[in-house]
This record gives sequence, structure tokens and C-alpha cells, in this order.
Amino acid sequence: MSAIVAAAGDITAPSIEYGALAPMLIVFGAALLGVLVEAFVPVAHRFAAQVGLAITAIVAAFVGVVVLAGSHSVLAEGAVANDGPALFIEGTVLALGLASILLLAERSLDAGGSALVAQAAALPGSAAERAQPSDAVQTEAFPLALFALGGMMLFPAANDLLTMFVALEVLSLPLYLLCGLARRRRLLSQEAAVKYFLLGAFSSAFFLYGLALLYGYAGTVRLSGIADATRGSTKSDGLLVIGLALLAVGLLFKLSAVPFHSWTPDVYQGAPTPVTAFMAAGTKVAAFGALLRVLYVGFADVRWDWRPMMWIIAIATMVVGAVLAVTQTDIKRMLAYSSVAHAGFLLTGVIAANKEGLSGTLFYLLAYGFTTIGAFAIVTLVRDAGGEATHLSRWQGLGRRSPLVAGAFAFFLLALAGIPLTSGFAGKFAVFAAAIKGGATPLVVVGVLTSAIAAFFYVKVIVLMFFSEPAADGPTVAIPSPFTAAAVALGLAVTVVLGVMPQPLLDLAQQAAPFVR
Amino acid sequence: MSPDWWLYLSAALFSVGAAGVLLRRNAIVVFMCVELMLNAVNLTLVTFSRINGDLDGQIIAFFVMVVAAAEVVVGLAIIVTIFRTRRTASLDEANLLKY
Amino acid sequence: MTSLTLNSLALAASHMSTAETVGFWILAPIALLGALGVIFARSAVHAGLLLGLVMLSLGVVYGVQDAQFLMFVQLIVYAGAVMSLFLFVLMLVGIDSSDSLVETLRAQRPLALLLGLGFAVLLVAGIADATTGTTSAGLEEANADGNVLGLAKLLFTRYVFAFELTSALLITAALGAMVLTHREKIGPKLTQKMMMQERVRGGRPSPLPGPGVFARSNAVGTPALLPDGTAASESVSPSVAQTLAGRGVESVVGRHPATIDAQPAPVEPESFEAESFQPETFEAEPFEWAPSSPESPPEPEPATTEEDA
Repeated sequence: MSAIVAAAGDITAPSIEYGALAPMLIVFGAALLGVLVEAFVPVAHRFAAQVGLAITAIVAAFVGVVVLAGSHSVLAEGAVANDGPALFIEGTVLALGLASILLLAERSLDAGGSALVAQAAALPGSAAERAQPSDAVQTEAFPLALFALGGMMLFPAANDLLTMFVALEVLSLPLYLLCGLARRRRLLSQEAAVKYFLLGAFSSAFFLYGLALLYGYAGTVRLSGIADATRGSTKSDGLLVIGLALLAVGLLFKLSAVPFHSWTPDVYQGAPTPVTAFMAAGTKVAAFGALLRVLYVGFADVRWDWRPMMWIIAIATMVVGAVLAVTQTDIKRMLAYSSVAHAGFLLTGVIAANKEGLSGTLFYLLAYGFTTIGAFAIVTLVRDAGGEATHLSRWQGLGRRSPLVAGAFAFFLLALAGIPLTSGFAGKFAVFAAAIKGGATPLVVVGVLTSAIAAFFYVKVIVLMFFSEPAADGPTVAIPSPFTAAAVALGLAVTVVLGVMPQPLLDLAQQAAPFVR
Repeated sequence: MSPDWWLYLSAALFSVGAAGVLLRRNAIVVFMCVELMLNAVNLTLVTFSRINGDLDGQIIAFFVMVVAAAEVVVGLAIIVTIFRTRRTASLDEANLLKY
Repeated sequence: MTSLTLNSLALAASHMSTAETVGFWILAPIALLGALGVIFARSAVHAGLLLGLVMLSLGVVYGVQDAQFLMFVQLIVYAGAVMSLFLFVLMLVGIDSSDSLVETLRAQRPLALLLGLGFAVLLVAGIADATTGTTSAGLEEANADGNVLGLAKLLFTRYVFAFELTSALLITAALGAMVLTHREKIGPKLTQKMMMQERVRGGRPSPLPGPGVFARSNAVGTPALLPDGTAASESVSPSVAQTLAGRGVESVVGRHPATIDAQPAPVEPESFEAESFQPETFEAEPFEWAPSSPESPPEPEPATTEEDA
């Protein structure tokens, strides 16, 4: 007994830099407070309390990120990296999270209230559900969204693979749940949740097996330790290559690269649109941040092992995303395939494997995130009696009926297509230039060609909106509350500003560039 | 005979689990196959922990168990929810989302 | 001298002891066959039990490999808690939900098996390539203070942040389970007095009649009979019919007891109306109707209490 006590005395207390971890801790703390709000605040005030809490926390965390800018250190016994790319992505994810919370807070669009279900436990169509008061909302969605946001912040900042895995789950589990909480078309929504969950769990098992093999190879899961092991090793590379491939499967699933993209359209379509916006923007940014850190910190010296495979995946992702997007008839599915195609464009920046590739990808992520959130925000506005009118044919002639909303949507689509004077152009230019410098010119050729295909279907939608007769029973454009309006305005503002003068942000991304080891 | 044999066993278990995910239609059985994969990963970790001579592998296996427990709660809650709505756990009948 | 000792130690640890070899050849077939059983068993319950077997045998494997703490965690958390949760949900969902053999995706099965086999070959080849000839360091040194203490030292120093982070996961899990399954009460809680008033003013102050009790049929789904031989529709709870219909069981709810065996029931949505029974059929098989049955049937659920969550 005394021996155990004596031995236990050897443990030195770990040092945790609470100040530098503050942005994440604020978000997690607010999520915990949100759980308490559910328990103690009367029903009538819960919604306002949750929205206020979430927005306050996100703004406070964003301020924390801004204050921390320029730091370059490793925190919490080496578990968390606090460097430029991590902070850049944390800031981006927070801003995207704010816009998503604003969309979630919208309650005036639907006659039924929020986009979220009143009581997830009440069966759709049952007497118990019909008995719900119309203003009831499952407000637990807000703490769940904050947990997911915290996971998204940590995922790209994780400095060892174990922390990265736990962060992956912290960001995924709440999203699985949120997917199933749509008020309208709940069967679709629940189906999306089951698919996302099963495929997500499947892919994280691959991530874990990769982690285990890399641990076997390097004897550590710290990225810098793995980098050291790859450098001085005389061992056979079997474990390293298989481990990295399996690890990449988990990451590529999250950022919906082909052939791990099959969940994307189903889940994007089934989930409540504000949650889709959150996933489409936030998860993609976080997952690319993590992929960048893994490849650039842990495997920079074996890039000849991973680049050929990533080439194939990037080409497949661009081609499949762009081609399948053309055939879609549902606006949410179309945006989903467009997000697959964008994952391919982003991968060209990752493959560049140089400083420009890193900063270009960071810039592209920010631009893409805001454009996507804006586009999905507009999707929530176009409605008919059955809720959101997502079928493309319903959008016919929308430009004649409400030119403002259709114009904003058209602008987002042009940005996604990468037309000059939008943020999408600046982003694509940045990653393609980096890829050429990194010796991946054929990839850029494919990228430009698929961009052209992609532009075709974006323009097709614009033509549909502006140059065809509106249907007699077409959907109406709901007047949004300030929440959704603010989200759309934020997306629009970022897309315009980054399109007209991208240089300040490009400089910021370049300053952020080096990863801490 | 060396400890590598445990690694081969775990590779086999992982592959069986992966094949099961692709093979089975019942959501709960699919999820069980995912758990089988996670168990195989744990065996790999424990074996490598012994080969490498440190306890990190065992710690990671411990984390995998914690995460899996949380995942099981969320997953089964989702599956029960869709079962209550649709009265089936078959993935073939979850077919509303198609293009 | 010291290095010599360490070398011989390493050499000893790099090879399995005889006991471990025997253990391997016992446990590995059990685990592998159990795993194959999981993916080939038709019944979901069998799959679950076989998965439990795999988990138990892996728990023993951890014990063999100097991971005593993990062995117990595996047995308690995995084989105990996680597996019983699985089986619990299986029972809840219905154990008859076995897999259909209808192929919806052509060639999915052979393809899945082929992929699994190919994957296994790839993994084994990769591992064999990388690990043959490596020596195992063994855990004697790391476990010098005991396995638990060694783990604790790591858990609360190097991995403390991930450890704290798992709390977010556990809270998410609890919150998620609450969100998806707990139905919050709407409206005021009914007091006994309110229920009494509602009952007295509701037109039927007396208890509802119990269902019929017949040994050969589903008793709660069988209506009681009124003195004139007609079925009393109120005696069957609507929730019984709902549940049976939901399971796809051909329901006998509301049908006259004598008709149940006499002829195959028409498959149609069941209504609780007594009109659906035909008096001609029951004359073929007269029955006793005892008003003073010694068994008093349990009082059926009042129709208003539908909230069974």
C-alpha cells in the first residue's frame, strides 16, 4: 500500500495552459451551461437563453482566438498545437458556427416554427406530436451544436492522433444526433442520421486502425514523433504506408472525398437545412485542417508515399463531384455534390505540399465556408406549403418573383463556380497556383476542366431562376427574421470582400502558415 | 512463434468486421460489426504496446473503449428512434433518400 | 552485465512462452469463428451473443498480454455494459427482425466477402513485411509499479487533455439519448381529483370491461362478450391493436373469439367495432359464457393513457 502511495507521488502534475486553451474551453463550457439551461430554465425562456448563450460564447471565443494570434506553441502536455493554421481554422470555424447558430435560431420562416423538431421523441404524425405547442423546439440542439463546434476547433489543432480521434468523435456524435431533428420530413431526417452514423462509425474504425498501426511503427502517436520516426527509420515501411492509408480513409470520409462521399448527398438532403449548412461548412473546414496537419507535420518527409494516392483521389473527387452534380434535381443534393467537387479542388492545394499550398487551402476553406452557409441559408427561405421547396423545378422563375433573394443565390453560385470578382475565384487561383508550384500541373488541368463542368450546372440554375416563367403554384420566398438575414449578409459580405480584395486575407493565411512541430 | 500472431488475428478480425458492415442489412448487426472492428483495433494496440515496451498503446485502447461506449449510446438511440417510426431496422427499407 | 541481462530479457519476451502459444491456439480460433458467426448468423440475437463471445475471448487475450486493467475494463464495459445494451435494444426492436435474403444490390454479398478477404490479405502481408524480425520489448519495465499505476501515470500526464475531452463525449451521449427518447410532458400534471372528475363527468364512471380470456387466442386482444353474445368493443385497449398491427402480427383484436380458429381471418385493417363480427359463424361452435368468472380480468388501460413512453 505504502509502495503504491510512494510510487504515485512520482507523478508530476501536468501543466495545462488554460489561457491559451481559452477559446475551446469557452465553447465547451458554454455547451455545459446549455445543458444546465435545459434543466433549470423554464420552457418559455429556454430558446432565448440558449441562443444568447451560444452567440455570446462564440463571440467570446473568437475574441480569444484574435488575442492569441501569432502564438506558436504546444499546449496541454503536447496534446494541442497552438499555431497559425490552428488559430486560423479555429477562427474560421467559429465564424461559420456563429452563422449556423443564427440559422438555427430562425423561428419565423415556417408556420410550424423552427427548422428543428418540437419533440424528437414524439413519433412523427402521432397524436403526441400533434399535441405539441407550435412554438415548442428541441432546444438541446444548441448545446449539441456547441459541442460539435468545440470538436471542430480541436480537430485541426490536435497534435497527437489520439486527441485527434477523440476530437473527431466529439465533433461527429452531436452531428449524428442533429441530423435527425428536422421538423418537416422527419423520416428522411432520421434516415439521414442512421446513414451518417453507421458510415461515420465505420470510417472512424478505419481511422483507429491506422492510428494503431502508426503507433506500432513509430512507438508514439504524437505527430512530431511520427515525423521523427519516418526520418531516421530503417524499418520496412509496410506499417507506415498501410497506417497512413487507413488514417486517411477516416479523414477523407469527413471531408467527403470520392470514394468516401456516398453519405454526403443523402445526409445533406435529409438533415435540417441549418444543420446541413453547419456540417457542410464547419466539418469540411475542420477535416481539411486535420488532414493538412497530419500530412504536413507527421508525413512531410514521406510525401512520395502519399502523393500518388492523393492525386488519384483528388482527380476522382473533382470529376465525380462535378459530373454527378449536373444530374441532380434537388437543390440540396446539388449543393452536396458541389461540396464533393470542392473537396477535390481543396485537395489539389493539399497535394502541393508547400507553404503556398497550406495558405492557399486555408484561404479557400474560409471563402468556401461562407459561400456555402450563405447558399444553404437561402435554401431555407424558398418555401411552399410542405416546407422548403428544394426541387430544382420549383425554383423556376424565382428571379422574377423575388429578384433580391434569387440574385443573392446566383451570386453564391457564381462564387462556387469560381467566377472572377468572387471569393471562389481567388481561392481557386491560390490553390491552383500552389499546385503548379508544387509540381502538380496535370492536377490543375483536371481542376480547371472540372471547374468548367461545375460552372455549367451553377449557370443552369441561374438560367432557371431568371430566364424561365415562374410556375403558377411556385414557392414563395419567406421574409426572414434578422437572424437568417444576418447569416445571409455575413456570407454575402465575405464572398464579395474576398472576391474584390483577397490580398489582406491571403497575407494573413501566409503569415499563419508554418505548423508547430 | 512471436507476438506478431496476435497482430494477424486482429487483422483478420478487423477484416471480418469490415466485410460484415458491407454484408449485413440489419442496422444493429451492422453496428455490431463496427464494434468488432474496434475490438480488433484494441487487440492491435495492446500487442504493439507489448512490442514497443510502453503503455501508450494500452492507454489508447482504453480511450477507444470509452469512445465506443459513448458511440454505442448515441447509435442505439438513433436506431431505436428510426425503428419506432418505421417499425424496421432493415437498412434496405431506409430508402427514401435516393436520387 | 546490465546490458546482457536486458538483452536476454528482450529475447525471452520477443517469443511467446509456451503457455501463451497454447493460449493463442485456443483463443484465436474462438475469436475468429465467433467473428465469422457474427457476420453469418441469420438471427441478430445470435450475432450479438457471438460478439459477446469474441469480446470475452479478447478480454482473456489482454490478460495474457500483460494488460490486466484492460482485461477487466473489457469484461466489465464491453462484454458487460455494451453487449447488454445491444441485446436490450435488440429485444426492444424485436428479435424476429432477422435479415432478409433478398438482394437489393446485385453481387453485393460476394463483393463484400471478396473485399474483406482482399483487405485481410493486404493487412496481414503488410504486417508480416513490417514486423518479422522485430523483437518485442515486453512490458516488464513499464509495468514495474503495476499495470494500473503505470496507466494512471500516463493518463493523468501525457493524455490528460484527451481524458478531460471524453467528458464532452459522455455528456453528448447522455444528452442525445435524452433528446431522442424522453418525451417531455405537455400541459399540467393530472391530479387524482381531476382524473376522478373527468371520469365521473365523462359518461362512464364504471370501469371498462376486461378483455375476454380464452386459452387458445391472444387474450388481451379478444373482446369480452356481452350477455347477448355481441363483442364489447370497449374491452380491448386500442394500444394492443396498434402494437400487434405494428409487428405485422395478424391481429384477432375485436373479432369474436369463436371466429378466430374457425376460418382464416380476413386481412384488413382492424377496427374495434363490434359490427365486424358475424353471428352466424359462432353458432357453429357454441360456447359458455360465464358472467361470474372466478378470474377477474385485469382492468384494461383507460383509452386516454396513450403516453407509454
